[in-house]
Amino acid sequence: MERASSRLKVLAVLVAFMFAALTARLWFLQVLAVEQNRTAALNNSVRIAETDALRGTIKDAKGRELVTNRLSLEVRVRKDQLGPNAEQVLLDLADLLDVPVKAITQALQDKRYFEYQPKPVAEFVSERAAFFLQEHRAEFPGVSVVPTSVRDYPWATAHHAPEFAAHALGYLGQIQGAELESPRFRGYGQNDLVGRSGLEQVYERYLRGTKGAQKYIVNSDGETIRELGQQPATPGDDLVLALDAKVQQAAEEELSAGIERARTVVDQSSGTYLKADGGAVIVLDAQTSGVVALASWPAFDPAWFVKGLTPEQNAYLFGNNKLAPSLNKVTQQIYAPGSTFKPFVALAAVKEGLATLGGYYPCPAEYVVPGDTSGASFSNWNPVDRGSISIAQSLKESCDTVYYGFGTRFFFDWRDHQLGTNSEPFQRDVRQWGFGGPTGVDLPAEASGLVPDAQFMLDHPELYPDGPIPGVNILLSIGSGEMRATPMQLATAYLALANGGKVCRPHLVDHIENAAGDTVKQIGSRCYSQLPYTQAQLDYIVQDGLAQVTSGGTAALAFSGFPLGQIPVAGKTGTSERPPFQDTSWFAAIVPAYQPKYVVIAMVEQGGFGSTTAAPIVRHVIERIYGLDVSGPVSGGSQD
Amino acid sequence: MDLVAGRTFAEERRPIRHVDPILLLVTAALVVIGLVLIYSATNQTLRQDQLDPFDRVNKQVITMILGIVLLLVIATFDYRFFKVYSGFIFGGSLFLLLLVHVPGLSSSSGGTSNYINIPGATLLQLSPSEFAKVGLLVLLAGMLSELRSPVPTVQDLVRILGVVLLTVGLVFINVEIGTVIVLAAITVGVLVVAGTRAKHLLLLAASAILMIFLAFQLGVIKDYQVERLRAFLDTSNTSADARYNLEQSEIAVGSGGMFGRGYLNGTQTNLDYVPEQHTDFIFTVVGEEFGFTGAMFVLGLFALLLWRAIRIAYLSKDPFGTYAAVGIASMFAIQIFVNVGMVVGIMPITGIPLPFLSYGGSAMLVNFIAVGMLLSIHMRRFK
Repeated sequence: MERASSRLKVLAVLVAFMFAALTARLWFLQVLAVEQNRTAALNNSVRIAETDALRGTIKDAKGRELVTNRLSLEVRVRKDQLGPNAEQVLLDLADLLDVPVKAITQALQDKRYFEYQPKPVAEFVSERAAFFLQEHRAEFPGVSVVPTSVRDYPWATAHHAPEFAAHALGYLGQIQGAELESPRFRGYGQNDLVGRSGLEQVYERYLRGTKGAQKYIVNSDGETIRELGQQPATPGDDLVLALDAKVQQAAEEELSAGIERARTVVDQSSGTYLKADGGAVIVLDAQTSGVVALASWPAFDPAWFVKGLTPEQNAYLFGNNKLAPSLNKVTQQIYAPGSTFKPFVALAAVKEGLATLGGYYPCPAEYVVPGDTSGASFSNWNPVDRGSISIAQSLKESCDTVYYGFGTRFFFDWRDHQLGTNSEPFQRDVRQWGFGGPTGVDLPAEASGLVPDAQFMLDHPELYPDGPIPGVNILLSIGSGEMRATPMQLATAYLALANGGKVCRPHLVDHIENAAGDTVKQIGSRCYSQLPYTQAQLDYIVQDGLAQVTSGGTAALAFSGFPLGQIPVAGKTGTSERPPFQDTSWFAAIVPAYQPKYVVIAMVEQGGFGSTTAAPIVRHVIERIYGLDVSGPVSGGSQD
Repeated sequence: MDLVAGRTFAEERRPIRHVDPILLLVTAALVVIGLVLIYSATNQTLRQDQLDPFDRVNKQVITMILGIVLLLVIATFDYRFFKVYSGFIFGGSLFLLLLVHVPGLSSSSGGTSNYINIPGATLLQLSPSEFAKVGLLVLLAGMLSELRSPVPTVQDLVRILGVVLLTVGLVFINVEIGTVIVLAAITVGVLVVAGTRAKHLLLLAASAILMIFLAFQLGVIKDYQVERLRAFLDTSNTSADARYNLEQSEIAVGSGGMFGRGYLNGTQTNLDYVPEQHTDFIFTVVGEEFGFTGAMFVLGLFALLLWRAIRIAYLSKDPFGTYAAVGIASMFAIQIFVNVGMVVGIMPITGIPLPFLSYGGSAMLVNFIAVGMLLSIHMRRFK
């Protein structure tokens, strides 16, 4: 292979030439032209334009769409593509969209967008204008019409109820600069919307979805050199509520009707018409602890936030408005629950041995603390001495003085046994029902309320200069004085009365679905604790006591004509003093009394007696839940 | 020569004693460097997609293990086995090329169907054109080693040309311009070493140019390939997209400087500026992260590889062994030159992977097969 070897040399030389060429070129690029190439590398940069994810929708328990998304036609302008007649294009555009040209030029200065990104200059553009822009594209270089999605409220629109479930659903707002820094809002952009109240806020991370991204490589002039990979957005998950839109609407309508009616009633103590300037209605499902309806008055239209609040709307919601329409009265405001609190006091008294279910307790018109010679007395709402009555009767008539006796004994037993603060049996027993702490309902910024105790008195020497006194316990025994609860806490406590003594977390959302319809998370009921009462004790309270309230007790007038034979209603009126304002009107109901399905609570601020305003509201809501003929205006009378 | 001495002589010539250690070491070094580079090129993108950053590296390791097994099997067999079955091997590789066009078996990449999906084995996607390289070089070596005249006659050349055109034609249907270049280089290399007359070679070159011209005219070459070629020839008047690959890979390599930016520190690499970086543009990672020194080291390893291949061709006492080794050397040489040349901008962009470094299954397996054959030729050079 002598000749082959010389030809192999030819091959070897050829290969050597190839390597020499590569080496020379590498030397040139990496050693001689290194600076130039490094600069080029520096000027290269990746920009990421995000594409928004479609926000999840909200449906009621029957699948009715409460919150969805709708398109808003947005006009966007790319400044660098406006061409030589940029000014004329913008003038024509302003003319077409009927906005001042200044608004457009200001929008174009927006620093939140990169030069290569089209900037939004107008939203909610009419279809006609959008169509015109599409047709005359050549006359509007750099102008595009992009459909974007905004919140829509189809059920509210279809039923002419703009304020439908406003406090439950909540609204969206622009993210704030400081929030962008916080880890909670990692991945959010400067012009993103976030849930600001209600379910929109609590379930933000489910509703939001995942943004898509389009990567661009731009050179030092900001020109797009190349589009890189694209990641499509994932739509947010949908909320399916325990709420029933029809019951919700009934609750809202009956609440505002009840408030209207209350304003025609003269308040006995002040002699003027009732002001009735706030209220709440809750309907809980007694089996699942789902929130079937949740109404807070006054309310607002969540659609206001879609287009941005007008100054008037902003002042109404967040200005110095005493009505505080943005607050959810069900969970964010605290009130003295009044006599609706008595069932829990009665059970505590039985548990701690102060009373028995078969016993009889004096119900005088006035109550004086034994041994108190100062002349101070606590009066019953009823100026007639009722003699000695059973616990059931005391609930039916809502006798205050029976409970004053329990409150006093609780205080002296505690003091005499030197149990110390934080171990008062009375306060401990009533707190077990959920009072004094948040219920854990899936709504934001829930208030905790207050169950006043010895420690509270020691902490407030300006109010209690002599230290713990029996008066606080006496007033607590009728849900008054310093006692505070949210309507939701009261509903949760009545739910426990109805379901055999389980304290459960109420929830608006039943489950969360992804876009494919698969359940991502089941919210369902979660019950924390079993209360230390027997079913017989609870039945006695609900059936022997509360069920008599509507048939012959304080709410008998409010429920006159109601088919209690078919649908027995266990209820409790409440009237709590709130000087210098008029009384807070309460009614709490368990229906049907013997196989509870619903807990219904109504509360009206400055609404007078529980039987006057709140009880008729609850009656009408129950009538509508069961599809009964809704009775005309009911006069509930003036009973606690 | 007495009996004892003869026995010693035979003992010394046992194939196992003549493994080429340098060839093995160079191959091992290149494969390991390949894994290191593939990690750098792919880990960021994989992380972004929330995948295992070692995903590509792991797949390449599996291919590598398969390749080592192939290498060992082939080195164990006498390479003359390939000569006996060269016709079958060639025919088999052509069959694979046709198989790409069976619906349901093929999968496409970049609009052309270049792969055969092995049913039930998603990892193994065969690229038949890679195996066509081996098929062709084995057949050419076989044909040329059986010539009756000392140099190929015109008739021989016509027969050889027929075989080459058949292969090139089938590859062309699959639109793989890079493979055509490799096949041409193998043919030329083997023909030159076989002693083809200069005027015949010139004639072949002329007809090749004519055929390329015809290919352009008849539109066999796809638009994007023309575009890439134009981007290479004329940088002022081409689409941004075609210019982009060229520019970015030059910037990447150039910004490496003398010593590079350090492993995993290349901004061009990390930010994914260079497309197909883990496959055809893997050399940009060397250039950017290890600089001129790193590039020289890798090119040095390739030079060692080619030196060993040519040396094996020289040492072989058997024409088939020589031609096969030359074919392999030509195959490696042209791939290294065209691939690195493309990355540094002195060759047009054609889809040719860099041996042992580029990510990809079939090419890697073929490279191991080629080294296995080289070893087998080296180990049995005395017989």
